Amino acid sequence: MKKIIIISFIIAAGIALASFLNSCKPSEAVLAKSGAQIWGENCVRCHNTADPSTFSDVEWDVAAMHMQIRANLTADEIKKVTEFLQSAN
Amino acid sequence: MKNLKKIAIGFTLLLVLPFTVNAQDTTSTFDRQAAQNNPTNYDSKPGKSKMMLRGYYHTGFENTTIGDESNSKFTPGSIAPILMYRQNDKLFFEAEFEGAFEDGEFEWTIEYADISYILNDYMTVRAGKFMLPFGTFMEKLHPAWINRLSTKPLGFGHDGIAPGNDVGAEVRGAFYTGPIKLNYQAYVVNGAQLKDGITGMGGMEVEEDEAGMLNFENGVWGDNNNDKAFGGRLGIFPFTNSSLELGFSGYSAKVGGKDTPYEDVRANLYALDLSFVRNLNFIKSVIDIKGQYMFSQVDDANYAIPEDTLGLYYDFNNVSSAYYAQVSLRPSLSGNKFLSRLEAVGRYSIMETPEGSLWESNPTQIAVGLNYWLDWRTVLKFGYQTTDGVGGHSEEPAGAEEMATPSTDLFYIHLAIGF
Repeated sequence: MKKIIIISFIIAAGIALASFLNSCKPSEAVLAKSGAQIWGENCVRCHNTADPSTFSDVEWDVAAMHMQIRANLTADEIKKVTEFLQSAN
Repeated sequence: MKNLKKIAIGFTLLLVLPFTVNAQDTTSTFDRQAAQNNPTNYDSKPGKSKMMLRGYYHTGFENTTIGDESNSKFTPGSIAPILMYRQNDKLFFEAEFEGAFEDGEFEWTIEYADISYILNDYMTVRAGKFMLPFGTFMEKLHPAWINRLSTKPLGFGHDGIAPGNDVGAEVRGAFYTGPIKLNYQAYVVNGAQLKDGITGMGGMEVEEDEAGMLNFENGVWGDNNNDKAFGGRLGIFPFTNSSLELGFSGYSAKVGGKDTPYEDVRANLYALDLSFVRNLNFIKSVIDIKGQYMFSQVDDANYAIPEDTLGLYYDFNNVSSAYYAQVSLRPSLSGNKFLSRLEAVGRYSIMETPEGSLWESNPTQIAVGLNYWLDWRTVLKFGYQTTDGVGGHSEEPAGAEEMATPSTDLFYIHLAIGF
């Protein structure tokens, strides 16, 4: 019975979280950020800002996906950063 | 012979993996033949699947002084190749292998190996062995090319009070509510094991003087009970420029072994973390402040007094805590090539383990360093660290990452590279 209650709670919390996330929207200031700005603000939170010329376009695709997961970047953020790095390398 | 086999496997891994250094697209044979006829097409149209090898390595010189005894050595450090594989826009696999000398033998371990699936713009699920988001240090800051100092703060690593990695499943992601960004992680893993002083696990010896301590390596070997550990972290960026992040982490699990007197013993752990990184234009520098506070509470239990023939037990309030605060300053904006590559760093950390336990200790540690960045991921570190305190059961000399013994001084020069 205890397990059923826990599983039901997790499912309900998951649905509530999904609904909440779907209703969340970034502000205009956040949406207006460029890839270069997001790159400058986020990389440095853990390590030095990466030089765009470090990797090729294909390599940045891989490294960016790694950072999206590790650094908890949103899909919009990582898309802008990747486009910037691939245009500046 | 067994060691020779391990070394052979390690070298084979090192020899084979570099062929994947340049991101490889796994284009079909048909596409490759077409590419041979027209190389331009091949270069401009890579496949969806891509792979690359990254990682880091560090080495250096260390001088450790404990009381009146001093010991200096060049350390081979450790190498940590990280394999990353992007299957498609949704699926990602990564694994970090760590090779280092342990007690005179070279050993490879898997720091993490997990598969991630990006469910949607706000949520990723992953499974395997992964770094636990208990605070930020172990998950994001410990690699040698990222960590501003060459050592971990008190409370992390062997004999620490923080979980590092484990096996299980996790959901994580980030989203905005207006100008504020939030990120979250929630996971279920095998969980820690209580060292009860009477049972060992995974070939480990019974350590009577560590009764009541948590062993976070448990998950690697399996699970000592059917209860899984739950945990997570919630991070918030109050400012739009992402300069400040505050995080709260929790972890809860039954830690006692099944069918032992300790099977109902539960551990609850909490952590608070802070990160502030900002340009200070008036001194043309970047300041980086990091901190983490951790608290561990394990249910009271009675433990057998070692080598006691009368069968007597003792107990204690099993509460531990640790924290660190670190500040680094780098004049990156100075315009002077030499100055902009220098970085000064200082860290203060404290750990307190339970009073009345056989592993009671309360070390205090101060670490300072001066770094010179050769490029954005290669650093030469000069550092000095002094650790004072009382207690601790370890009779071994305290290395950089070991539990403190009274008055241990460490001077080091390390070179770390991220690749």
